Amino acid sequence: MGTDRKTRRLWIPAIVIVILAFVGWLAWYELFREEPQQLANNSMEEAFKYGSIGAENQNGLPFWIWMVLPRMFPEYLPAPGGYAALGFAWEPGREMPVGFTRKTIGFERVAINCALCHTAMVRKPGEVVPRLYLGGPGHTMDILAYQRFLFACASDPRFTAGNILAAVGQIYQLPWLDRQLYRFLLVPQTRKTLLKQKKEFAWTNSRPIWGRGRIDPLNPVKVMLGHGVGNTIGNSDMEPTWNMGPRVQGKMAFHWDGLNTDFTEVVRNSALGDGASRRSMPLQSLDRLEKWLLDLPPAKFESLFPVDRALAAAGEPIFRQRCADCHAFGGGKTGQVLPLTDEAWGAQQFAAAPRPLFTDPHRAEEWGPADAQALNDYTKGYPWAFTHFRSTSGYVNVPLDAIWIRAPYLHNGSVPYLAEMFEVPAKRTKVFYQGDDVYDPVRMGFVAEGPEAERMGTRLDTAQPGNSNQGHLWGTDLSDGEKKALLEYLKTL
Amino acid sequence: MSNDETRTEATDRKGRRHLLCWLLAIVALLLVVWLIWHFNVDRPVDYAADTDHFKYGSIGSEPGGSLLLTVGGLLPPEPIFRVLPKICWDKLPGGYASLGFIFEKGHDLPIGVSQRFRLGFQQVGLNCAVCHTGTLRATPDGPSQPVLGMPAHQLALQDFFRFVLDCTLDPRFTADNLLGTMKNEGIDLSPLDKLLYRLAVIPQTQAKTLALQRQLALLLGNEVTEWGRGRVDTFNPYKGMQFNWQLDRLPRNELTASSDFPSLWNQKPRDGMHLHWDGDNDSVDERNRSASLGAGVTPVTLDYPRLQRVRNWIWTLPPPPYPFAIDAARAARGREVYRANCQQCHADDQFKKGIVNGAPLVGTVADIKDIGTDPYRLNSYTYIFASNQYTLYPDSPFRFTHFRKTNGYANQPLDGIWARSPYLHNGSVPTLRDLLEPPAARPKGFYRGSDVFDQQKVGFVSNVAAANGLRFTWFDTALPANGNFGHVYGVNLSAEDKDAIVEFMKSF
Repeated sequence: MGTDRKTRRLWIPAIVIVILAFVGWLAWYELFREEPQQLANNSMEEAFKYGSIGAENQNGLPFWIWMVLPRMFPEYLPAPGGYAALGFAWEPGREMPVGFTRKTIGFERVAINCALCHTAMVRKPGEVVPRLYLGGPGHTMDILAYQRFLFACASDPRFTAGNILAAVGQIYQLPWLDRQLYRFLLVPQTRKTLLKQKKEFAWTNSRPIWGRGRIDPLNPVKVMLGHGVGNTIGNSDMEPTWNMGPRVQGKMAFHWDGLNTDFTEVVRNSALGDGASRRSMPLQSLDRLEKWLLDLPPAKFESLFPVDRALAAAGEPIFRQRCADCHAFGGGKTGQVLPLTDEAWGAQQFAAAPRPLFTDPHRAEEWGPADAQALNDYTKGYPWAFTHFRSTSGYVNVPLDAIWIRAPYLHNGSVPYLAEMFEVPAKRTKVFYQGDDVYDPVRMGFVAEGPEAERMGTRLDTAQPGNSNQGHLWGTDLSDGEKKALLEYLKTL
Repeated sequence: MSNDETRTEATDRKGRRHLLCWLLAIVALLLVVWLIWHFNVDRPVDYAADTDHFKYGSIGSEPGGSLLLTVGGLLPPEPIFRVLPKICWDKLPGGYASLGFIFEKGHDLPIGVSQRFRLGFQQVGLNCAVCHTGTLRATPDGPSQPVLGMPAHQLALQDFFRFVLDCTLDPRFTADNLLGTMKNEGIDLSPLDKLLYRLAVIPQTQAKTLALQRQLALLLGNEVTEWGRGRVDTFNPYKGMQFNWQLDRLPRNELTASSDFPSLWNQKPRDGMHLHWDGDNDSVDERNRSASLGAGVTPVTLDYPRLQRVRNWIWTLPPPPYPFAIDAARAARGREVYRANCQQCHADDQFKKGIVNGAPLVGTVADIKDIGTDPYRLNSYTYIFASNQYTLYPDSPFRFTHFRKTNGYANQPLDGIWARSPYLHNGSVPTLRDLLEPPAARPKGFYRGSDVFDQQKVGFVSNVAAANGLRFTWFDTALPANGNFGHVYGVNLSAEDKDAIVEFMKSF
């Protein structure tokens, strides 16, 4: 009798422990178990397009919610077309657009990576399928519209577990346990997270939209650091991420305002911007990407369109004489920051021109010394802590490799065609549509007017704050013949 | 004693009550088990012969999923489907047959409509045969012959969907009227079913139809060119139904795209060729799964084994032999002219045996600039749409990966071409002989849907407005998407050569 009771006394806690252990294991399995990503192949291209950069841990959306939202809330997308309507590049046969990653951490999660903003789409006139250029500026994608879409979905009273599971049920038989996970945890939690982010991004509602191909890169960082956004506007054109080797060697500054000269830090900071956390930062993958970007070749204009070699040859000396010092690799000022004063922007040369001569100052004024210091401090204690972030008071003289594909021009994407850069601001286009992928090889830029551009693109009004097409008068004083020759030469870069 | 008796009685009573309780519990349990079984059982009506399976078998297009969450399906439950023409007698005086549905002896339902017991009710769905069975007759008074795998050139699919949707939302679509009409028609529902029809099935059918109508309103209205008999807009309904795109936000040009039903025979030699009119897919199996979606299947309700049964059958189904006389001498001359003018893109009469003869371009896409035919159908299929298709059948081996946006129309193999009239992707040219004329000399308007065969020009009689209870579609080539221009191959040949080509093509 006595031993029986004793055994029972031992059995009960044993069973309880086993049950608790099982529940704990189940919770771990369903929420935190991390499985390595299965990519289609082991190439760096594949990793760039679909590989995780650690953003799923904190900012991963549950796969099935992500999948059904466009079907449930088409009215919150800029046009019919699911996620493709947001201008994301989509490769034939792929389940998700380029720049989206799918990774299992407990459950399957969707996040973004570098390729979302750094893949360019180009069609020659008459073509119907865009060519994709990895590392090119994502001039078609509308990241703010994507965020607003998610926020609008989460704010809609129809964003409920019942409705979402019903929508999933139309296309997939989710196992019972997963359904419970979605019903009681993932849907409410996702809604909460998105609504929180919506609040964090409320400042975007009181200033001009980013629109296709642009992002405000630093105000979200300031919000993350707990700094106010104030009245600043940082809408900036996407930059290419290819051919980084010569930039690193030339100790050039990165980002439009040159806030950092250390490429490694720039890459890691961009991963933070895409949703990685300090703890989930995948240093190895990022280092591989970084190395790959050093030698990634820029897209060639001549692979799509012919170049008049003789004319280009005539344009080369003009470039050498007028542009190379700031814009050629090896130029004395290339990759350095030009301060925001009229003097620095050619006040003597353009004595008669209306002021100001510098380009729209909003972006340069967005990032102060306190912000830079706080960002460095934010990473303190990590082996990869940032030390190079700084505040400048101007814009970088960027090298012009593959300048043809980097339209629209200037840091804020306010000039649709390269040819217009040689016109005085008063003669540049005042309102246009950014985001179509049909290339105009004559004016050099993506078609920015007409019915298709209006349908596919977002409207950019240069009269709005942050959108000014002022400044950068170099080249406006050339003769028409010289401009033509110079433009032809620029096609060869 | 009395005490004892009372006790015994009490024990008896207690025992009986016990027994009763047990019995009730068992009955309740059995009832629950039965109910669960009843509402979960999935019982398609199967057929022994492949031809019957093609005509009447299920591919899973009936509503499915679970009672709590119905998935898929375009048609109301079978008893409702059967009495709809009676409920809205004024909207469809000739019944489904007047829409070009084919009724065979011994079958209450037409070819192309399958039966399946799912979710506790007898359901109906559409299958491949609805759009891929055509009829044919030699003379206006002769018997009409269904040909399996032939384009359903007589079928008014748009009018069919209009009717089903309209009638389901008609004020006469009430439980009393429906159940009463069913009784009159000899359709017996069990008392439980009657109750459930009243409480759930009828209101749910209406709610579902409302949602479907919202998605498709624009395509079933008058803003886009009429599909008419023998045609369907392949991908625009898909945009609404599969992806819930708001069609009214698309340019109208993109929404005007109806095209001819293709033939479904002899699929094996087509695998790897560019299928669909614009050549957007080169996998027969993926094309099949995609077409099933159009019939009302979803990734969740697809009956893959039964679809594969159809697939295996059409894989080697031969095209029908030409049922009339062929002038051998003229055909022999035609073979030569055909070889010089057509074969490179279209292969020859051997394709019916799976042999591709001297046709390097068959099954490839001809650029729109070269082929020059009406561009609407091509433009309705966009890069953005293709991108969305890759999300269909998610997380499964069936997921679409072969779809591609093209910029032209595919060069079709011409097996059984005599039975595939009218011609061009939009069915804008009534006969083969007309197609060999320059566009300006092709008929500017004609009637579609008659199944009387024209042996002279090869195609269907196209100057008759109505016959045998069918009102035919007036096809106006001036309307958007209906252009009969382009494909100017052979138009400059002599009349004799053209006649000879047509004669030769009868043997395909």
